Amino acid sequence: MADIETPPESNEQLVCAILAEQVSTLRDRMDAAQAFDLLWRTSALLSWVSGLLGDLGRHSGHTNPVQERERTEALTEIAEIRRALDELAFFQAQRQDFAKQIADCVVTALERMAVAQMPAGMHFSSSDLADLYVSAEQRQLHEAVVERLRG
Amino acid sequence: MPTILVLDDSATMVMSLSHILKGAGYDVETGLNGREGITKLADGLKPNVILTDLNMPELDGIGFIKEARRMSSVRNTPIIVLTTESGGRKRDEARAAGASGWLTKPAEPNQLLSVVKQLCPR
Repeated sequence: MADIETPPESNEQLVCAILAEQVSTLRDRMDAAQAFDLLWRTSALLSWVSGLLGDLGRHSGHTNPVQERERTEALTEIAEIRRALDELAFFQAQRQDFAKQIADCVVTALERMAVAQMPAGMHFSSSDLADLYVSAEQRQLHEAVVERLRG
Repeated sequence: MPTILVLDDSATMVMSLSHILKGAGYDVETGLNGREGITKLADGLKPNVILTDLNMPELDGIGFIKEARRMSSVRNTPIIVLTTESGGRKRDEARAAGASGWLTKPAEPNQLLSVVKQLCPR
């Protein structure tokens, strides 16, 4: 059976469609909701433990100085770990959000390139791509690549 | 307890912001786009501060701010934009629409809380 010759244009569109699907799958796998949930629950638990230690201190009458010092040290350490957990969760949530936005932009561009009824190589311009950006970081990266390719 | 309305199309961001704000003693109401925010305001929610993303489906942050500023209940409520956008043009657009402040992601929890506390002391 003879091979069917596929015009280059169709190939390019097919590759774009496949890539769009692959990036879309990657984007969906970026969801780290369970990890965030665990971080927040740990933080809430530490807050609870901290409250209990505070109550214990008030009811014990501070009779044992060694225990009292250890209780105070534990409270300080718990507060520090809680602060670090909250900061980590917040920062990671923002990073994930940003990564998803970049993936959204790539998927949209590839999807448009996959269906555009124009000659090969003219489906989508760099300025069409720039219109999809949602952050200055994406624009800076875009400019850097354009500069580099222009030599 | 003061109430903060948080609008962001990322569920993780909404949960993360809620956690930070509730931990600091605020009540939090949330929405995944500007339209949900407008609906909550129309239903009678009177937040002390509104935190909104810019790039959201259905009704984006700028559209939300414009519509919210036409509602007498939140005409003077501080609206802070929290976004990955840091460009001057977008910032001007948000300010012209009626935004009171701007925070660029990634922001730190303390940065966020200091802005909120300034506008809405507990």
